[in-house]
Amino acid sequence: MTCEEIGELLPDYFEGSLKAPQDDLVERHIEECADCREEVAIWKKLSLLPVEQPSAGSRERFEAMLDAYQTGRNDKASAGFVPEKRRSAWNWLRSPAGAVAWSAALLVMGIFAGNYWGSRTTHSNAGQDEIAAMQIELTNMKQLVVLSMLQQQSAGERLQAVSYSRREDQLDPQVMSALVHTLRYDGSVDVRLAALDALSRHGAQPQVHKGVVDALQEQQSPLVQVALIDLMVEWRDPDAAQRLRNFVQTPNLNPTVRQRADWALSKLN
Amino acid sequence: MKEQERRAETENDQAMKLSPDEDLMLEVRNGAGETLGVLFDRYHAPLYNFYSKLTGDRTLSDDLVQEVFLRILKYRQSYQPGTPFRAWIYQIARNARVDHYRKTPRHITFEPHMVAPVMPKDSAQQLEETELLHRALMQMPEEKREILVLSRFQELRYEEIARLLGCELGTVKTRIHRAVQELRQNFKQLERGLAPREAAPAVVKTIPPRRFGNDM
Repeated sequence: MTCEEIGELLPDYFEGSLKAPQDDLVERHIEECADCREEVAIWKKLSLLPVEQPSAGSRERFEAMLDAYQTGRNDKASAGFVPEKRRSAWNWLRSPAGAVAWSAALLVMGIFAGNYWGSRTTHSNAGQDEIAAMQIELTNMKQLVVLSMLQQQSAGERLQAVSYSRREDQLDPQVMSALVHTLRYDGSVDVRLAALDALSRHGAQPQVHKGVVDALQEQQSPLVQVALIDLMVEWRDPDAAQRLRNFVQTPNLNPTVRQRADWALSKLN
Repeated sequence: MKEQERRAETENDQAMKLSPDEDLMLEVRNGAGETLGVLFDRYHAPLYNFYSKLTGDRTLSDDLVQEVFLRILKYRQSYQPGTPFRAWIYQIARNARVDHYRKTPRHITFEPHMVAPVMPKDSAQQLEETELLHRALMQMPEEKREILVLSRFQELRYEEIARLLGCELGTVKTRIHRAVQELRQNFKQLERGLAPREAAPAVVKTIPPRRFGNDM
């Protein structure tokens, strides 16, 4: 056999996977051929190269990375919906009472300014525009108050924030997503239920609709689960039946919740 | 109660240590980040060796190993059940290296810390052979070195390497053969060059650094 032919067999020979009779062919060849013998020798010699050890701090570094990563994720999950800059810019809004007072002051200022302009230039549109602008600003302000209050440590204050948000007919998309976020991740069952209640009036918004329907799979509290199921029936969500069928497959489901889901399924079909 | 809990915990730990990589990775994928620690214990040393033999740079190898595990966390959702974990992690490892060189163009130089750090303490001759071999390996183009490292040190089967490199099994074998040929040539040349001044450890400096283009 030529060296070329042997060369094709060598990798299998290195690996020890070459069977007789080819195995014998290679061995006979390398006895006679110095070049091929050296190739086998150098392959074997590679075992001389030591197995190196990673640096001592490697495991600690990994642990630190894992910790940082998981903390980062949790932070994002619990408070990530208001951008960092916005939060620090509105830090002074921290106290909910102060924020409400500030909104009220603005409102009063707006009314005075409006009256003043209104009386001075009776038929001028400029004054009315100004008032409209003021009102928009005030609405924005209230939304910011809600956003800021939803971040509070105390469940009572978050609850209040949710009820403030109910006073508005039109909700800012940011507030809506904050409420959906509250529904999904808030630690308190009461706050979650209130958020669901507030959102139930905005089911026509696709964003809200989807957020609410998606929340079912993640809820742990039977109360919230039942409320969500009821709302899905009320909305006659097109995906509801499919989602509920998946949902009842969940192991360890609370019997009352399962009953409610079955009832909902019978309603929807 | 406490005792029971502890026992349950250790049993759980032991079960985890025996679980196949793929099962553990699925747990990581489903959100159990801490399970990644078991996979780290299994793979960080082999990966470190893969990198250190490939790049000859210990600090970089440490960094790249960390990068691999960070990427596993980041992209854990892309792990498909049924994929052999070993193939997957080596794929990530290769990509991490390629991305690193894309950001930081390589300058292969023989710095003192790049020479194999722990030498076997056998005979002087073996010590010298090991050093020559290490240098012969480092002189090869990275592509050829990689296939040798994968097959000889990482103990990947040829089929696994073929899948990893996206080529045929036959191609892998041909490339291994060629790489061994080249290693042998390099080694012989180094041996010849060394012959007149046998005990000179400073040869490191006499070997011109080989530049690798972007032929990977």
